Amino acid sequence: MAESPSDLVVETYKLTKIYQNRQIALNDVTLRLEPGTVLGLLGHNGAGKTTLLRLILGLHRPTAGWVKMFGQTMTPNAAALRRRMGYIPTNPQFPPGMTPISYLDYIARLFGIPAEVRKPRLASLIRAVDLLNVSGDKIDGFSNGMTARLAVASSLINEPELLIWDEPTHGLDPEGRRSILDLIKTLAREKSIIVTSHNLSDIDEVCNHAAVLSSGHMIYCGTLSDLKGRMRKCQYDLDLDGDQKAITKLFNAVKGMQEFKMVNLRQRRLELRLGDEANLASSLANVLMTIADNKVTLVSVRSSGQQTEQAFLDLVEQEESRGFARAYHPNADAA
Amino acid sequence: MAKVLKFPANAAADVSPPLPSIRFNQFLPYYAVFQADVRQILQSWIYRLWVLLSIGAVIGFLMYRFGAKQVAGFVQPAPEMINDLFQWIVWGSVTLIIVLTSGTICGERGTLADAVLCRGISRIQYFLGKWHARVAVILGTYFILALTTVIASSLLLHTASLDLLGALVAVVTVAALLLMIITCGVTVSAIANTTVVAITVVWMALYGVGFMLSFLPSDYPSPDRALQTLPEVLKGYYNAHMVNRFLLGSVGASTMMAVVGMFCFSYKDV
Repeated sequence: MAESPSDLVVETYKLTKIYQNRQIALNDVTLRLEPGTVLGLLGHNGAGKTTLLRLILGLHRPTAGWVKMFGQTMTPNAAALRRRMGYIPTNPQFPPGMTPISYLDYIARLFGIPAEVRKPRLASLIRAVDLLNVSGDKIDGFSNGMTARLAVASSLINEPELLIWDEPTHGLDPEGRRSILDLIKTLAREKSIIVTSHNLSDIDEVCNHAAVLSSGHMIYCGTLSDLKGRMRKCQYDLDLDGDQKAITKLFNAVKGMQEFKMVNLRQRRLELRLGDEANLASSLANVLMTIADNKVTLVSVRSSGQQTEQAFLDLVEQEESRGFARAYHPNADAA
Repeated sequence: MAKVLKFPANAAADVSPPLPSIRFNQFLPYYAVFQADVRQILQSWIYRLWVLLSIGAVIGFLMYRFGAKQVAGFVQPAPEMINDLFQWIVWGSVTLIIVLTSGTICGERGTLADAVLCRGISRIQYFLGKWHARVAVILGTYFILALTTVIASSLLLHTASLDLLGALVAVVTVAALLLMIITCGVTVSAIANTTVVAITVVWMALYGVGFMLSFLPSDYPSPDRALQTLPEVLKGYYNAHMVNRFLLGSVGASTMMAVVGMFCFSYKDV
């Protein structure tokens, strides 16, 4: 635990952003990020994730509330605070006509890093992100993977204490995505990181904390394990094979069982959700017996969806179902 | 072929060694923005169009006047010709200069400006870097064009009445006028959200202020009067006190506009 507010990497208090009195992008967000935290920022499109990151970076000014970085208030002119941060936007933009070397040199100069430090640093970064053989080529012709690697290098050039990566795996192929996730894990040993992603399995893999935004409001902030603990348990997917008529008959039989709150059939996948009082073992045993009785082949059984994804969807659903109650106990669900 | 994103096994080791305690150069971010913007302007098609049109117009005009002198023997006094060219540079180039300056900051909002302003640079340094780059490139180009015009005119045309010091004063007077236009463009671009809005506002501001200044008593310097007196200035007939007041007024007005631009930009979302 951080002993004093100055030990916190990021601290926001009742942070609110309203664009031109037309759009409430962020509403009353209070967040405390301790050193060493890897925070996954979750939310649907337009939930306010990027707005929160831009407020943290000082690119936007809060309509109400405040942001403190390393114990000091963040403002658009707080260059010294931004020297301690590395940022990758969703779609990194590069000035036309630059090469990786000239771009990284430019970024390093923007941090005020003198030549004797920045030149060896950019050379080792270019080597690290495997752009050595194209270091003299113009960035304009680079693929998504190459620009992603360059963006990673540019966010590390100042050796930041806090990394803010907005959808770093966006537009990457599986191998590229894997490399980014591995790098986050490595960097997490010595840095604080904020990552946003629509791919919740990514968050599940690399983060130890999560914050969930829904319509600009933070509905959860805490450890990832706590978030998973909130998910509805006992939800299973059974992949089946065999005659479609037999599967439908099986579906109708299972649907008649009282212990299941929800039974769905999607082509050859049977989705089951147990009621709160149901006994897991006996309920599943009944289903398996019914499958055998109907001469249907069971291909696989698994707990449905990604745990984090399910927990996230449940949280958002619960938040939306609260309706007006949200106004009276806005932080009831936030950890 | 698109390369896959791959970090070698030692990538983290390569990127993780701590930097020695760095003595950050506070001036470096400003200079980086200045240098990048100069390069950006020199590569922009608007700038190249402006230079090409100006050179084409100067060469065509001088050749035409020189031809009239050589073929028909008409006397072509250099001060009048230079004045005509300076007037053309101001009135003819002003549109392109406004376009060149009005997109300075708002044209990059949400894209390239993000990539710069999320680093260790303050808004003030960013504004100053951009402003100084535009001033340096546009005024630098103008000085080269104007001095070449004066030299070419003095070689090709009738120079009996041309005063070299007066020509220099005329060049500097027009430069002061351009400085105000450039600063106005950059300032509005820091405040406006889009380039189109910025161009419209700059046009309206320049016309509005110029119109209002024309109502001032004759002993007050105004851009309109400064341009009207250019033929006399080129002949060496000028009031040094008035010229100084105009130059100081231009620099003062530009500085004030820039301060307003910096202040507004410091409080604006990008």
